[in-house]
Amino acid sequence: MIKVIAACAIGAALAGGAAFVATSIATESTATAEPVNETLYNYGDR
Amino acid sequence: MRGSWTARLLPWAVGLVTGVLALGPALGRGFVLRYDMVFVPDPSVGAALAGADGFPRAIPSDVVVAALSAVVPSDLVQSGLLLAVFALGGAGAARLSLWLLCVHGPPGPGTAVAAVAAGVAYVWNPFVAERLLLGQWAVLLGYAGLPWVVAATARLADRTPGRGLAGLVCALIPAAIGGFSSVLISALAAGPVALWRRGPTTSRWWSRAGLFVSGLLLVSLPWLVPSLSGGAVTDPRGAEAFAPRSDTPFGELGSLLALGGVWNAAAVPPGYGEPVTALLRLALCVFALAAWAWWMWRQDRPVIGVGLSAGAAVGFVIAFLGVVESGRALTAGLIGLWPGFGPLRDAQLYVAPFGLLQALGIAFAVWYLAGAARASVWCMGTGVFAALLPVVVLPGLAWGAGGRLAPVDYPHEWHQVQEEVAADDVPGSVVVLPWSAYRGLDWSGETVVSLDPATKLFDRRTLWNDDLSVGTADGGTVVVDGEDPLAREVAEVLDPAPGTGLPRAEDLAAGLGGLGARYVLVSDPVDNGFWYEGQGFEAVREGTELTLLRVPEARVKADKPGITGLEVTGGLVTVVAIIWSVARSGSSLVLQCPGPKVGRSARKEIPK
Repeated sequence: MIKVIAACAIGAALAGGAAFVATSIATESTATAEPVNETLYNYGDR
Repeated sequence: MRGSWTARLLPWAVGLVTGVLALGPALGRGFVLRYDMVFVPDPSVGAALAGADGFPRAIPSDVVVAALSAVVPSDLVQSGLLLAVFALGGAGAARLSLWLLCVHGPPGPGTAVAAVAAGVAYVWNPFVAERLLLGQWAVLLGYAGLPWVVAATARLADRTPGRGLAGLVCALIPAAIGGFSSVLISALAAGPVALWRRGPTTSRWWSRAGLFVSGLLLVSLPWLVPSLSGGAVTDPRGAEAFAPRSDTPFGELGSLLALGGVWNAAAVPPGYGEPVTALLRLALCVFALAAWAWWMWRQDRPVIGVGLSAGAAVGFVIAFLGVVESGRALTAGLIGLWPGFGPLRDAQLYVAPFGLLQALGIAFAVWYLAGAARASVWCMGTGVFAALLPVVVLPGLAWGAGGRLAPVDYPHEWHQVQEEVAADDVPGSVVVLPWSAYRGLDWSGETVVSLDPATKLFDRRTLWNDDLSVGTADGGTVVVDGEDPLAREVAEVLDPAPGTGLPRAEDLAAGLGGLGARYVLVSDPVDNGFWYEGQGFEAVREGTELTLLRVPEARVKADKPGITGLEVTGGLVTVVAIIWSVARSGSSLVLQCPGPKVGRSARKEIPK
């Protein structure tokens, strides 16, 4: 059981760190693409 | 893993935790409105059943929502359905992987980690994120049911026909709610499994195929009967408009391989298209495919392996048809030949079985890494890390896709017009203006594009512009004609201005009343507030956001809306079949599918 808990802690810590880095990359590059101040809206924009 | 309770609870825990993490604020009170996802307060069952002429895209999903909303507030119904997508999908994939991996012996910690990997990978990927941001919750409900349907189909081989069919219909309940798209992807994923099932069987392939088709037909009747009897049409231009697009630097093929590639640029989760995250995601998918191929190569390959591989391959080919010019032309030609091919226009949808295959591939890799009896703590730690990798490489889905799925309350005005129309005993439909399906709602402070909620707000038929305008990469626009013939007639009467969607014609009350309209709702603030003067309307409400106009009773020639006896019979057959399947299975979808009985028997139980 201790081995399982330790493995989960290691895996989760690794995943958490990697997720933090990936989130930082994603956040820095994200910009809103929603249209504003239009009367009519498309169903999407390819 | 000690004890069967872990095998029973762990998959559901995976689904629920991923659901809460993905949806976050969307689970709060209020309505999440985005593209096709429109829930309204107190929806009407009658209006949902009557729907619109043309292809019944919202049946039975809207009917189920309206029926549930009679018992529970509809915003809670929405939260429950969204969470069910993750809970059912995550649990189903986790249980399926447990069953497939348990041929190696009683499940241990490594098998549990592998089950977590399958559950996480299945519900945390670009397909789910993009369809969620597109508001296609009904499609996702069908997607969530795929592992259950695949398992139930495999079970047809070693059960009596009656019990097998009951289990299959039970597993098809999410697809039955989801409607035509959900049933189609279920057929694609599980159909080949019915034909090719490895291992000892007690039935012939044609018997299993017959049962499988019967199950699909039983749950499809609510939308199949009206679509076949109502003369539904589909515009072939949809094949071009809804073709897969590249949402990563790796082109359409790479995007589809990574389970992305939706046609709507606004449905891509934040940060996903960046080279680093996209590359990681693609690498994970290639890794999953390699692991699946390796598993298929081994002696202990899964009993559903050939069938699921075939279904995923066919689905990927259909999706790829949308990428190449000749493929789109073929799809458009088929739709022109027979509108029944219309669902093929949304080609990216068919990568859904590929998602299940990848999830099981990741599960096998994790099991191999962490499942050995004497696996070191580092091997197991790496396995846990691998199980969580889908979240790491797609952080944009977390917490309501970075806040994009935030609930809002309907302004008081919307409740008032709903009550005012409901209080009117005079029959007749509601025409929704401006003559455009989508609105930019800014109730939360940010503009969110959504199907006009007015189209589902009333207890009577609504007439709205169901044409779909899709922007193209070169700055142009493809307009896919709508499917409601009565809406086309209304458009002719309105003669709407292209820029504003407001009518330019004269004497509108007589024209619209002649088509059975009792009300006109302008569901958007408009600059020109005088267009309806002198048109013969009675102004019921002139608010800041909504304007409700009434056609005098003498001018309304309302046809009695109704559904045919055949449609009622079809719906009832489906309901009875589902009740029978639950009773015959001895449990509900939630309670069935017992986990492996650890340490009690060498025989491994298959999840239903």
